[in-house]
Amino acid sequence: MMRAARVVRAQLRASIAMALQYRLEFAVEGALALLWVGVTLFPLIVVFGTRPEVAGWTFPEMLVVLGWFVALKGVLEGTLSPSLLQVIEHVRKGTLDFVLLKPADAQLLVSLSKIEPWRLIDLAAAGAIFGVAFHRIGRAPGTGQVLLAAALLGAAVLVLYSIAILVVSVAFVAVRVDNLLYLFQSVFDVARWPSTVFRGLLAVIFTFVLPLALLTTYPALALLGKLTPGTAVGALFGALLFATLARAIWLASIRRYTSASS
Amino acid sequence: MTRILRLYPQLLRTGFAEAVAYRAEFLIWMFSTNMPLVMLAIWAAAARSGPVANYTQQGFAAYYLAALLVRLMTGAWVVWEMTMEIRQGTLGLRLLRPIHPLLQWSADNIAAIPMRGVVAIPVIGILLYVARSELSHDWFSWLLLCPALLGAWLLYFLVQAMIGTLALRFESAASLFDAWLGFSNVLSGYLVPLDLFPKAFRELAVVLPFRFQLSLPVELMLGRWSRIEALELLGAQWAYVLLFLVVTRAAWRSGLRHYAAYGG
Amino acid sequence: MIEVSHLRKWYRVHRRAPGLRAALRSLFHRTYEDVKAVEDVTFSISAGERVGFLGPNGAGKTTTLKVLSGLLYPTEGRVSVGGFVPQGRARGFLEQITLVMGQKQQLLWDLPPSETFLLNRAIYDIPRKQYEATVAELTELLDLAPLLGKPTRQLSLGERMKCELAVALLHRPKVLFLDEPTIGLDVSMQATVRGFVRAYNERFGATVLLTSHYMEDVAALCPRVMVIDKGRLIYDGGLAELVRRVRPDKRMLLRFSRPVERRDLESLGAVIEHRDAEAIVQVSKDALQAAVSRALSSLPLNDLTVEDPPLEEVMRDLFAQGRAA
Repeated sequence: MMRAARVVRAQLRASIAMALQYRLEFAVEGALALLWVGVTLFPLIVVFGTRPEVAGWTFPEMLVVLGWFVALKGVLEGTLSPSLLQVIEHVRKGTLDFVLLKPADAQLLVSLSKIEPWRLIDLAAAGAIFGVAFHRIGRAPGTGQVLLAAALLGAAVLVLYSIAILVVSVAFVAVRVDNLLYLFQSVFDVARWPSTVFRGLLAVIFTFVLPLALLTTYPALALLGKLTPGTAVGALFGALLFATLARAIWLASIRRYTSASS
Repeated sequence: MTRILRLYPQLLRTGFAEAVAYRAEFLIWMFSTNMPLVMLAIWAAAARSGPVANYTQQGFAAYYLAALLVRLMTGAWVVWEMTMEIRQGTLGLRLLRPIHPLLQWSADNIAAIPMRGVVAIPVIGILLYVARSELSHDWFSWLLLCPALLGAWLLYFLVQAMIGTLALRFESAASLFDAWLGFSNVLSGYLVPLDLFPKAFRELAVVLPFRFQLSLPVELMLGRWSRIEALELLGAQWAYVLLFLVVTRAAWRSGLRHYAAYGG
Repeated sequence: MIEVSHLRKWYRVHRRAPGLRAALRSLFHRTYEDVKAVEDVTFSISAGERVGFLGPNGAGKTTTLKVLSGLLYPTEGRVSVGGFVPQGRARGFLEQITLVMGQKQQLLWDLPPSETFLLNRAIYDIPRKQYEATVAELTELLDLAPLLGKPTRQLSLGERMKCELAVALLHRPKVLFLDEPTIGLDVSMQATVRGFVRAYNERFGATVLLTSHYMEDVAALCPRVMVIDKGRLIYDGGLAELVRRVRPDKRMLLRFSRPVERRDLESLGAVIEHRDAEAIVQVSKDALQAAVSRALSSLPLNDLTVEDPPLEEVMRDLFAQGRAA
């Protein structure tokens, strides 16, 4: 455990040092993160300029969903994607062995090997969005609601992570797969709207097949106090199940890889 | 000049061969262009209770499918190629060929049109099926669409080239491109139709070059303008194209001078 | 063909200490250093010559090559290649030269080399007859026939290098800049590349500039070498002469019919290696004759050979001398 913490710290430092090397990029990335938040908010602001309610959600309520979306996207693009892309690169170049030979758990090393520090701005922005939303609603979320939302957020991150791990497991078999990760990132954009926005076939897909809308809808409902306990438990359970499955597939892929490569 | 005309077909041929070799990546990249559909979802939900301004649900579908089509056909990726080659140091090899690298990259891009067509055709099919009534009935609009698409592509390509040349001076200019993309997504009408913008904002957006990269071809497809107005707008678009050509040329020359002083 | 006069090339580089605090500081205040990559180099090469550039890493070899090919501007000095100023990047100039870098390639990765051939043919505007003749010749010389149809990524490193060479020479350039062309190749492929470059040079009278870490490349290909150390040209002349000047010692390789004590050998000269039945003894040129007759008369020899010390050591000595000086 201690070693893992040390590993994480060392890699965090390395990532930050690397990030600071490119001066122009550093300044631009910070501004970029803020710009991106603005761009994400823009359509929502225009839509609610024309209607007070859409698909059963008011503006502040949708802001909460969007806030979770910003936070999750920050996690996805800030550490999950870059790290996993690096794994794919390792597989392509054949240097994954170095990673696998290191004593810490392969999965941990791999997951946190690359961190883009300016993505922290996304988390801060999410917090600001929540602030604005609850200010408009006129009350603050209760402690129980915050805890439940946090738990569901953890479940959402777990699901995201598991999907990404699955994509990478494919990389062990068919190497040119980094595009799939990009594809996933862009499909993830769907999660910015609550699930009721989608009707018909799309609703089914985004609820059961690729539970994207739920990643942000459920934590938002929790924070707003609208989530039934049954649904909450079901969601947490489902996330854990999914994560266990993903890890099993990942371990199997690594075993296959290390036994196959010379 | 004649030499370039003789040489370009081979560049296109090679570009096409590469696009075919990379077809899997290409298709995935195409499918990643899904933002218009994401936006369509929220607007369609908003328009469930009635039209928004003069957009019905069908109207939104027409707009966003047209926008998707334009983006698919005019997209460029030269900025990624440039920054990667500069970073890996292989730009030097390209510079030693007796041909301008931008010419080669432009050929790669154009040569990929058949690939793009593959993805575009189903989109066209859906557009016609879902929202045919929203499309322009004037053949003149459709005639003007061709130079409008070419102009849009040129604007897109040249801006990427300009930003790419910045990479000759600064170690990573790809993030500058992300910034430009952010502004462009908003101001070109990619996220929200320009006529739904708040008034003052709209008046700014219609004169900026972003509008001519996406909104103009879409507006033509939806028959928004009279013939005279359409011609005027096309003229404005190509004025921007000429401006970008001049700036790109100057930026490339200056960037190269800097590169050859330091990097090679 | 190639004239270089008082070439200087300096870079301004940002230096930073390691560590997080220094990284943060560098955001606001940068310290720069002037790196003198090439310092007052003058030489001239005639058409058809084969010249090797030797020097430790960072000595300025690749920089010089890049200046000659026009990729870098000189800070000071004049450069002329085939009558052109390289930086102008005139089409006439670009069509006469070629640059082959061992670690970087111009072949299109996912397509067969034949596609890159066609592309280059168009770019260099090679007339059909000449193109076909050149392709035929290169295919024969390099044994390319089975390779041309396979995508580049499926070829082995050696096969790729052969195709790289072919593509680089498709337009029959008059000047060849070769930067570490044999790096990473196995011994037989290295020999093939060397043989090919030599054949091309002899056939077409092309001028060849070669940088390499492998002494065998230089020894096999370049009758003339230029040694660059720390940006300065410290030697320009024949390779044999260089060896003689730097390490005028010779080596005796001795093989015995029965084991010989070390102290019996020490009277001959410096003992480099000694195993029971074999030994290598280093002897200065002047003392060589005496040492040989001594060895023949007093030692139970099966075999005696005299040779030059390995080039690697010569080079090492040369640069050590440079540092001491």
